[in-house]
Amino acid sequence: MRKTILNINNLSMQFGGLKAVDDLSFDIKENEIVGLIGPNGAGKTTVFNCITQFYKDDTGEIIFENKAGKIVDLNKVSVTKVINHGLVRTFQNVELVKDLSIIDNVLIGGHNQYKTGVLGHILKTKWAKLEEKAQYEKALKILKFLNLDGLKDFYAYGQPYGILKKIEIARTLMCNPKLIILDEPAAGLNDVETKELAELIHQIKDEYKCSILLVEHDMGFVMDICDRICAISFGKLLAFDTPKNIQSNKTVQEAYLGGNDDE
Amino acid sequence: METTLRIFFSSLETGSVYALASLGIVLIFRTSKTTNFAQGVIGTFNGYIAATLFLKWGWGIWEVTACALFTAFLTGILIDTIIIRPASKVNPVSKQIITLGLIMIILGILPWLFGIDFLSLPRFIPITESTRISVLGASITYNAIFVILVSSTLMGLLFWFLKYTKWGLAIRVTAADDTTSKLMGVPTKTVTMISWATAAMFGTLAAIFIAPQTNVNPLMLADVQINAFFAAVLGGFTSFIGPVVGAFILAISKNLSLIYISDEWGNVIVYLLVLVVLFIKPYGLFGKKGVKKV
Amino acid sequence: MMTYLKQLYKTSYPFRFLLFGIVLSFLPLLSDLDIIEFSALTTWAQIIIFAVVALGLNLLLGFSGLISLSTAGFMGFGAYTITFLSNRFDLPFMLAILITLAIAAAIGVFIGLLSLRVEGIYLAIATLFVGEILQQIYKQVDWFSGGFSGVRFHYPQFNLIFTTIELTRNQTFIFLVACLVLVMTVIYNIINSRTGRALMAMSRSEHAAQAMGINILKYRLVAFVTSTVIASFSGILYASFMRGVEPTTWNLNLSLFIIAMVVVGGYKSIFGMFLGAFVIHGIPTFWLNEMFASIPGFAYIFSGVLIIVIIMFYSVGLIHIHHDIKKLYLKIKPYVIKAYKKLFTKKQEKGDKNA
Repeated sequence: MRKTILNINNLSMQFGGLKAVDDLSFDIKENEIVGLIGPNGAGKTTVFNCITQFYKDDTGEIIFENKAGKIVDLNKVSVTKVINHGLVRTFQNVELVKDLSIIDNVLIGGHNQYKTGVLGHILKTKWAKLEEKAQYEKALKILKFLNLDGLKDFYAYGQPYGILKKIEIARTLMCNPKLIILDEPAAGLNDVETKELAELIHQIKDEYKCSILLVEHDMGFVMDICDRICAISFGKLLAFDTPKNIQSNKTVQEAYLGGNDDE
Repeated sequence: METTLRIFFSSLETGSVYALASLGIVLIFRTSKTTNFAQGVIGTFNGYIAATLFLKWGWGIWEVTACALFTAFLTGILIDTIIIRPASKVNPVSKQIITLGLIMIILGILPWLFGIDFLSLPRFIPITESTRISVLGASITYNAIFVILVSSTLMGLLFWFLKYTKWGLAIRVTAADDTTSKLMGVPTKTVTMISWATAAMFGTLAAIFIAPQTNVNPLMLADVQINAFFAAVLGGFTSFIGPVVGAFILAISKNLSLIYISDEWGNVIVYLLVLVVLFIKPYGLFGKKGVKKV
Repeated sequence: MMTYLKQLYKTSYPFRFLLFGIVLSFLPLLSDLDIIEFSALTTWAQIIIFAVVALGLNLLLGFSGLISLSTAGFMGFGAYTITFLSNRFDLPFMLAILITLAIAAAIGVFIGLLSLRVEGIYLAIATLFVGEILQQIYKQVDWFSGGFSGVRFHYPQFNLIFTTIELTRNQTFIFLVACLVLVMTVIYNIINSRTGRALMAMSRSEHAAQAMGINILKYRLVAFVTSTVIASFSGILYASFMRGVEPTTWNLNLSLFIIAMVVVGGYKSIFGMFLGAFVIHGIPTFWLNEMFASIPGFAYIFSGVLIIVIIMFYSVGLIHIHHDIKKLYLKIKPYVIKAYKKLFTKKQEKGDKNA
C-alpha cells in the first residue's frame, strides 16, 4: 500500500454567493498521477489555487506530507513558502519571464534553494559563486533531461508554445518536488507533442520520484496517463476512481453531456 | 464654532477642487489603465490659455472659461488619439512614464508659448462686502459658494451619467474589462477618448478655480495634483465615489492640522496618515479587492 | 597577453566597465590640454553622476516595474546629509558616506513598507509626496540645509595616518569615474544573481514568482531601497564635485529627467544608463541649448518627446541602436558592393575600349 502524501478534506471556496468548490475531498498517493477533470467552470483551477495557497479564504483541510517527511497543514503556509515543502505548480497560460534566457527561467525555480543573500551576490563571495555554479549545473541537467539544453541561452521570447510549456515544467523540477501540479499541460499542443508530453510526465514521475496532479481537457491524454481520476462538477465531487471506472460512471457522463432534461 | 465653520467652508471649496482633479485621474485610470501624472499640467496649460485670453485680449472670465474648457476638450482628445491609443499595447509602467513625458513637454511649451511671467485670473464673483454671507459669524464668499455649487453639480452630473446613460454604462464596462467590452461591441476607443477629454476639462476647471489664490504658473496645480492622487488612494481607485469622499476628508483634515498642529508641516502629517491608512486598508476606504485570476 | 585581455573583454563585463572607466579618466587630461573646455568637464561629471543615479533607478523601472518620483529628492538627501555630517560633526568622508547611505536605506524601507504592500502604482504616488516633503525640508529647515542659500562643501578629503589630503578637481573627477565603475559592477552583480532573476520574475508574472517562492514585498523593497541608496550616493558625488548644494535643484523635474535617461538609454542595460545620461543631459548642454536659445524650455521638450517616441517606437532603448545599424548595413551591403562593382567594371570596359 502506497503512502498518501496529499489529503484534501471537505475543501470549500466561495466567491460572493457562488460556491466554486463545495465540500471536496480527495487524496494523492506517493508516486501517483492523479487527474482532475470536470466541465468548464467546474472549479478545477480554483482547487489548484486553494492547494497552492493563492486563495486563502477557503475552508477545509489540506494536509501534505512534505519532502522532509513532515506532515504540514498547507492552509497555515504562506503562498511563497509552499514551494519549500516540495509542492510546485505550472500555470494555465504559460507564465515565464520572456526577456530572460531559458536557463535563467529555470533557475528562478531554484530561488529558495539559495543560502547566500543580496550582499553576497553584490560582493561575489566565493560561497555565492560556488552556489550559483551548483544551481546552474542542476538547471543544465534538468534541461538535458528535457532535451532543451541546446536552447539554454536563447530568450524564452518567441519560442514555440510546446517549448514554453516544457520550460515551465523544467522550472518546477528545480526545487526537488514531491508533488507537481500541472494546470492544463497539454492545452495548445498538437497530437505529437501531446504524446511526447505524456511520456515526459511518466519519465519525470520515475526519475524524480514525485507525484503529479493535473487538470486537463484532453480526455484521451488524461485516461492514458493517470492512475486515478477525480471528476468534479460545480465544485462538487462526482467520482474519484481509476480511469476505467470513471469512463463508465453514469454521473460523470451526465455532467459532461449536460444531463438529459427530457427524461 | 466660528472657526470650525470657517474651516468647514474653506475645506468645502478646496475639497471641490481636489475632487474635480481626482475624478479626472480616476476616470483615466479606469478606462486607460494608467495613472495620469499629467492631469495637473494639462489643466495648467489650458489655465494659461484662459489667462492669456483674459489679460491680452481682455475677454471676460466667463468667456475665457468657456474657451479654455473647449481647448481642454481638444487637448484631451488630441493626447488620447496621437499618444495614448497608439501606445495601448505598452506595459503599464511605460504607460505611466508616457504621462511623465507629457509633463515635460507641456512644461517646456508653457514658457515658449506664454512667456516666463506669471499670469493671473480673477474670481468669477469679485469679493466685496456685499458678495459674502455670514453664517453664525463665519463668512463665506459668493465665489466660494459658486465653486462648490459648480463642482458638486458637475460631479452629480457625472455620477448620473455613469449610472443611468448608455454611455455611462459603456464607461463602467470598459473600466471593468476592456477586452470583453470591445468584443461586446462597446466603442472602447470613443470611451477612452471621452474620458481623456472629460478629465482634461475637470483639470482645467480646477486650474481656473484655484488660479485667483495661486496665480497662473507652471506649478499652480502641483499641490492640487498631489492631493488629488492622495484622495484617489484614500477613497480607492476602483470606485468613482471614493475619491470624492477622499478629497473632502483630505481637505478638512489638512485645514485642521494646518491650524491646530503646524502651519508648515500640517499637510505632511496628513499625508503620512493617509499612507498609514493605506497600509491598513490597502484598497482605500471604498475600494474593493478584485479577485485576481491565477 | 593580448589574447588574454581579449578573452577577458569577451567574458567579463566588470572588465569592460573598468576599461570604460579608464577611457573616461582621460577627460581631465583633455581639459588640462584645453582640448575640451573647463566647463565641459563639469558637464561630464554631471553625466557620470546622473549615470550612477540612473543605474539605481533602472533596478526599479527596468527590472521591477515600479516607478519612483522622489529620485531627485533622495539625491538631495545624500548631498545635504554628507555636507551636514562633515561640516557639523567633522566626520571622516568615508564614515559620513556610510552613515548617509544607512539613513537613506532606513527611509527607503519605511516608505516602501507603507506603500508597496499591495499595488505597485502606490509607490509612484507615495514618492511623489516624499519628493515634495524633502524639497520643503531643503528650503525651510535652515539648520540642516542652510535654507534658500544652500550649503558649501569641499572636494573629498581622505584621512591618512598623519595628514588629511583633499583631492583636486581632476582627482575628484577620477574619483567619480571610479564610483561609476563600482556602481556598474554592483548593479551587474545584482541583476545576474538570483535577486535579479527574482526582480524580473515578480514584475513579469507575479503569480509565477510567488509559486516559485519569491516574496513580492521583499523584492519590491530590495529594489526600492537599493535605488534609494544609490540615488543618495550619487547626491554625495554631486556635493563633492560641485562643492555645494542648492535647494532648488532637487525637484520633480530632475526626477523626470532621470526617468528619461533610463527610458532613453534602455531598460535593463548598464552602459545604456551612461548613454541615457549623455543624451538627456549632455547633448542639450553641449549643443542644443545654444541652438535653441529662443525656446526657454527646450531641454524639457527634447526629453519629453524622446521619452514618448522611444517608448512607442524603440522600447529597447538607444543602447541597442548599433545592432540595428549593423543589420541595416548588412542589408544594404550587397547593393553597395553590386553598385560599386558595376561602376568599376564599366570603367574598366571603357578603359578596354579606349585601349
